[in-house]
Amino acid sequence: MVILTITEFIGRFHPVLVHLPIGILLLGCFFQLLSSGNRFLTLKPAIPLIYLLGGIGAIFSSITGYLLSQSGDYDGSLVQLHQWMGISVAAISMVVYVLFRIQVKEVYLNVIAVFLILLTALTGHYGGSLTHGSDYISSALKSDGGGKVAIPPVPNVQQAFVYKHMVQPLLQNRCYSCHGSEKQKGKLRLDTKDFILKGGEAGASLVAGNIEESELIKRLLLPPSNEDHMPPKEKPQLTEQEIELLKWWVSEGADFDKKTQDLKQTEKIKSTLLTFQEGAKAATAKKLDLPEKEVSKADAAVIADLKKAGVVVIPVKGNSNYLSASFVTVKASPEVLKLLGGLDKQLVWLNLSNTALSDAQIKSLSSFGALMRINLSRTPITDASADGLVKLKNLQYINLVGTKMTAKGLAKLAGLKELSKVYLYQSGVKKEDQAGLKKLFKKVTLDFGDYTVPILAQDTTEVKPPEAGK
Amino acid sequence: MTRDELNAHRLVKEAQETELRAFTRRHFLKESAMGLGAVAIGSLLASCGLGGKSHNEILYDPAHPLLPKSPPFIGKAKSVIYLHMAGAPSQLELFDFKPELMKMDGQDCPPSLLAGKKFAFITGVPKMLGAQAKFAQHGESRAWVSENLPHFSTMVDEVSFLKACSTDQFNHAPAQLLIHTGSPRLGRPSMGSWATYGLGTENQNLPGFVVLTSGGSFPDAGKSIWGSGFLPSVYQGVQCRSEGDPVLFIKDPHGMSRDLRKASLDAINASNEQEYANYNDPEILSRIAQYEMAYRMQISAPEVMNINDEPQYIHDMYGTQPGKSCFANNVLLARKLVEKGVRFVQLFDWGWDAHGDGPNNSLNIGLKNKCRSTDKPITALLLDLKQRGLLDETLVVWGGEFGRTPMMENRNGVQNPYNGRDHHTEAFTMWMAGGGIKKGYTHGETDEIGYSALSGKVDPFDIQATILNQLGFDHEQFTYPFQGRPFRLTDVAGKVIRDIVA
Repeated sequence: MVILTITEFIGRFHPVLVHLPIGILLLGCFFQLLSSGNRFLTLKPAIPLIYLLGGIGAIFSSITGYLLSQSGDYDGSLVQLHQWMGISVAAISMVVYVLFRIQVKEVYLNVIAVFLILLTALTGHYGGSLTHGSDYISSALKSDGGGKVAIPPVPNVQQAFVYKHMVQPLLQNRCYSCHGSEKQKGKLRLDTKDFILKGGEAGASLVAGNIEESELIKRLLLPPSNEDHMPPKEKPQLTEQEIELLKWWVSEGADFDKKTQDLKQTEKIKSTLLTFQEGAKAATAKKLDLPEKEVSKADAAVIADLKKAGVVVIPVKGNSNYLSASFVTVKASPEVLKLLGGLDKQLVWLNLSNTALSDAQIKSLSSFGALMRINLSRTPITDASADGLVKLKNLQYINLVGTKMTAKGLAKLAGLKELSKVYLYQSGVKKEDQAGLKKLFKKVTLDFGDYTVPILAQDTTEVKPPEAGK
Repeated sequence: MTRDELNAHRLVKEAQETELRAFTRRHFLKESAMGLGAVAIGSLLASCGLGGKSHNEILYDPAHPLLPKSPPFIGKAKSVIYLHMAGAPSQLELFDFKPELMKMDGQDCPPSLLAGKKFAFITGVPKMLGAQAKFAQHGESRAWVSENLPHFSTMVDEVSFLKACSTDQFNHAPAQLLIHTGSPRLGRPSMGSWATYGLGTENQNLPGFVVLTSGGSFPDAGKSIWGSGFLPSVYQGVQCRSEGDPVLFIKDPHGMSRDLRKASLDAINASNEQEYANYNDPEILSRIAQYEMAYRMQISAPEVMNINDEPQYIHDMYGTQPGKSCFANNVLLARKLVEKGVRFVQLFDWGWDAHGDGPNNSLNIGLKNKCRSTDKPITALLLDLKQRGLLDETLVVWGGEFGRTPMMENRNGVQNPYNGRDHHTEAFTMWMAGGGIKKGYTHGETDEIGYSALSGKVDPFDIQATILNQLGFDHEQFTYPFQGRPFRLTDVAGKVIRDIVA
């Protein structure tokens, strides 16, 4: 734990104090300029006092600012510039006070006032750059805000230079703002090889080959609630993959020049590294949860009628017009199914399990183009239903458990492009047809069920304690 | 008193009262300037909230508390089956294979592992204890599972292991409360209560949140771990029995016809409605709804809760013991309930606390027997859900309340008579399957003796956040106003374990 010295403690009041002279001096300058006209002549007597107060404030700000700069968290050149400009502001305001008292020509005073406004603004800007980073204001204009990608995707991860293409961009986007050229919190800079190796107040940031001794890794792994955790918990955090990358890079020697393929890789890190490759996202693209196009709201009266009949009809998520319907406690009578017809655009999930559904009723569902999941388990439907089902082009999931559907009917569904899962436990599909169906449905998981759990001797016996003691 | 004096006295009194009236009115306004301002800014700030959805929105409809509702996001899981092994199973005898620990078997525990740590029973310097079971890799995912779970080892490609779970409670009751209610102290709603509060339940003839216990004893934390806390009481777990009547006194008494039952319930409800008109307490509406549900349950519950009408091959698969109360029966029931649209089924199996203080509490006898009684049913559950197409929409969670030490327990400095391990908070294993969870995946790892997490460390809040995520909720937005602030299951912590989400 670093104990603040008293000077450093006083120095930390600088960011608060500076706003006083800024406000007061600007007010003085404006009064000065305004009172040169006749309308605001009455302001004049107040001006010297304002300059004096502003000057005193500026002197105190300069002193606290100097003390703060001694903590060494800030970049040398920018601090120097800010320091001398701040001192100039203090000096000029005292000078202008004296000039006012000895009553020099008003024109000179006005010129100095304009100069003082500009100088104060510029000094303030540099001060702001020191605390928030020089791209603080401009970054707000960029559309991606804080959520920018830490590591831009590399074309081929094995051919990439580990430091240049992955580690450096990661440090740049997650660490430089406090440990870069402008600011060096904890006396640490991470923007060049030499600085990284030099480390900071807490010691070496890297010990090649030893992640446990490397401060950089240690702090990443601390729980976010720990004060020493990096990045600080209110800043964007590193993902698990990014931390894995750094750990692997350090444990393999923290080399600044080698390519990925030149370093030792376990299977695990290989797959982690692949996530930084271009197109990694596209390769894992999942099936849609909902149709891309939004749909008009369903007729509230139809929903109310269905609810009255006991059908569970709810939106699939809070603000969606797409609906799911479940017949878990009702029989699907033809009348109720007819009601369902009013929802043919909105219905995406339909559960008709355990209802006395007929093939003809399935055919009446063929206009439900949005349907993605349909559960027909334990209904008396047969192969004839396949003709209706094949028209539901967006189906991803069909549950045919306990139906009379056979391989012949199922084959008709091969044209459904979105299909990913079909459940056929206890259906009419015979064992000998399973292999053929699997060939027909290459991209679909066909689950024929009939799983058994073997009977082992130990399932029904117990381990007995030895007779006497141990 | 003369007449004048009396009049004067009255005048003074009237003047005082008038002044007092004026004073209190001004006083009130003056004093409440800050308060009213705060109220105003509160509502202003609320309107700046994300998506315009107020944190204090109450999803509770007292007259129809369990009607199904949509989650804010698409939920991958519609139901949850949570298998809690009460007492905390030893990760080192089941999933966390540590050859290094075998080498240290019988040696004194290095002081670095003991410095500054607190244990429930270990005092002094205990001996290290290697795994009391043989391990092998299984499935395409090459996950390590011990010989204690021969059936489950065939299922590793269906589940995501969480190898680096941690908690901060090393006693059973608070640790169980923490993992089920988000707080080690009493009074918070359980996970199942939150789920039924947020989603209702599809089947209005059955409770939305069912609790089944086995192992001969209740979990240490008692019924509070399925309590509804500050949520309306209708969302508390309904404990059912797997032996005899599922709910006590569910059958009408002899001589009571169904019509008479209906008539008497109508009369009770009518008087309750009158009570509600007088007091406006929403709990009365909940009570009316519960009477109505109870009436419907009289028909539907015995039907669903009766495992006898399941075919013999299903009984063989689960290894049930019809007529008895056991874990296997509960697991089969859980599958039946989920199939009928029950939202959350919570199983507790007691007896996993292998300290080594007796044969039934040892790693070589008691733990092995617990494994034998649960291995087959759990495997059957996963396979049965899978073949019915239900595993896609049912999240299955397995775990205890904490883990066990790599050291052999020495109670009060004396070696226990049997091989056992003490409570351990820093690393233990849980797994999840189905409901949009990755298949054949392992998240997190522990150090070479399984003492603490190296990577992928998760805590109970992360697990809760992940379960709510699979049900379609953002755990940070899903709140209930109580005592002046919005409360959530994960309180102020929790991060969804994105790595195990498919």
